[in-house]
Amino acid sequence: MGILNLLSKKSSKDNSPEPNPQLKIGSKVTLRLIYLFLAFCALIVLLPLVWLFFSSLKTQADLTTNTWGPPKIWVFANYAKAWTGAKINIYLTNSIFVTFLSIIITVVTVTPISFVLARYKFKAKKFIYYIAIAGMMIPIHSAIIPIYMMVGKWDMYNNLGALSLIYGAFRISISIFILESFMSSIPRELEECAFIDGCSIWKLFTSIIVPLSKDGIVTIAVLTVLACWNELLVSMLLLNRPELKTLPIGLIGFITEFNSEYTQLAAGIMIAIIPSILFYIFAQENIEKGMIAGAIKG
Amino acid sequence: MNITKKNIWVILAFLFPGLLIYIYLVLYPIGQSVVLSTFKWDTLASSRFVGLENYVTVFESRLFWKSFTNSLIFMVATTALQVIIGFILGYLVYLQLKGYRFFKVMYFVPTVLPSVAVGFIWNYIYSPGMGLLKPFMVAIGQAENYMPPLASPTLALIAIIIAQTWHSCGVQVILFNSGFMSMPNEVIESATIDGAGGIKMIYHMVIPLSWDIIKMVIILQAVGALRSFDLVYVMTGGGPNHSTELLPLHLFVNSFQNFNLGYGNVIAVLIFVLAMTITLGLRKIMYKESIY
Repeated sequence: MGILNLLSKKSSKDNSPEPNPQLKIGSKVTLRLIYLFLAFCALIVLLPLVWLFFSSLKTQADLTTNTWGPPKIWVFANYAKAWTGAKINIYLTNSIFVTFLSIIITVVTVTPISFVLARYKFKAKKFIYYIAIAGMMIPIHSAIIPIYMMVGKWDMYNNLGALSLIYGAFRISISIFILESFMSSIPRELEECAFIDGCSIWKLFTSIIVPLSKDGIVTIAVLTVLACWNELLVSMLLLNRPELKTLPIGLIGFITEFNSEYTQLAAGIMIAIIPSILFYIFAQENIEKGMIAGAIKG
Repeated sequence: MNITKKNIWVILAFLFPGLLIYIYLVLYPIGQSVVLSTFKWDTLASSRFVGLENYVTVFESRLFWKSFTNSLIFMVATTALQVIIGFILGYLVYLQLKGYRFFKVMYFVPTVLPSVAVGFIWNYIYSPGMGLLKPFMVAIGQAENYMPPLASPTLALIAIIIAQTWHSCGVQVILFNSGFMSMPNEVIESATIDGAGGIKMIYHMVIPLSWDIIKMVIILQAVGALRSFDLVYVMTGGGPNHSTELLPLHLFVNSFQNFNLGYGNVIAVLIFVLAMTITLGLRKIMYKESIY
């Protein structure tokens, strides 16, 4: 996460052109109304999270009588109980492992394909490109039953590696879409020079194209993190051993188990969302860029 | 660059691993689900070809049509809400008033949270035991009108639509904002000089100039809504009385709880067809020559 942050900070300023729209807000009243509306929306966004945070630190009695305010006594024991009672550390480890492996699978397979599609001319190129990005339109639900049966045939249920491979496969389309357009924008003179110097394709790829595409690769990695970290359906079908559960399914199990101890439930949910929030803080620019790049061809 | 005899093997080696995984794990299963939708499982181990029988069963099923309708309502409602709110907030952020960055960053926070966690958060907000909704109703003097929304067949879907909008509206804000940022500055400038402002400006300049992005956000959102599974699964499990069962959950219940795999595959194929139809259909409806 730290590395992603460093990469993003460097390119953040020059990559987002900030046109200064010449739209002056006429009256002070309009301006105030706009701020009021912006603040109201921010409140709606934040209120549930602040409330969850407060709830996670209250006593059960405090929770029922004091809905809106901060805790009267700050009970950090809720977190300790949620942490030990719920095996969240195991789910976190599994999720980190799966996410990490999915990133590797995605980046290692997508980077060379994008390189070839972006830099070479050949007959089947368009065809391969469209086949490759067609997957962006395919909902994973449409393939889930055959995948479930296929993994069964391999005898690979409860295998985090198999899960990561499927995650990786479903990230390929959108990642090619993003990385191919990124690589197309690298100036061509570079590789002509490299060739005159007698550089091999492999060398050109590893020592020129990949370093220059660093930002694009970080973007597809960041999007992969979000997708894999939050995925529920596939992991639920392919994993059922408690010690292999990823965070989303683990959280569901935890909630069912703790049922009515609301303060500890809130603490458990807090623990589950803290990594996402940290990741957002570190990779905010890249997430934003990735969302835009994944939606718009640019 | 051109491909020469000398480098063709390297290039094939570059393409091969990724495309192999992609074809085997993404394209092949899609094809497979079309094939499997014509089979019937008598036991989990034995299946036989039945032609279109599963399709007939699905189309005659009351629950299928119910979940189909739910999915359409969910799709139209979340798309409308998110596109409108996203457009307004995206535009206000684009004005770059003091502190706009703070708002832009805040609005996106819910989007990065795991949808399972979002589901539980909203479960608790609505719940009578600890939630925010009940005290809120009490505060505005509507205490007697409170009922747990997730337990009511008429309110549950609305409650989930609200949660979904809270969860994913941030994406639309970012996308609209980036679309507005790429509008040509000079055009906006000269329009301002000509005296266009406020609503007029939005209607005559902003909407036409960013039509491409509006179109794309609507399509993305509509197709995305069709895949919505997590929130419903966590919040209601499709209940009460199937009133929040969307197509992906309908597929899940029939395939993996009732083990009616033929039926499930028909739903899978229909979701796929629906996604394609909506993408192409909306593209056609909203087609307009770009201004430049």
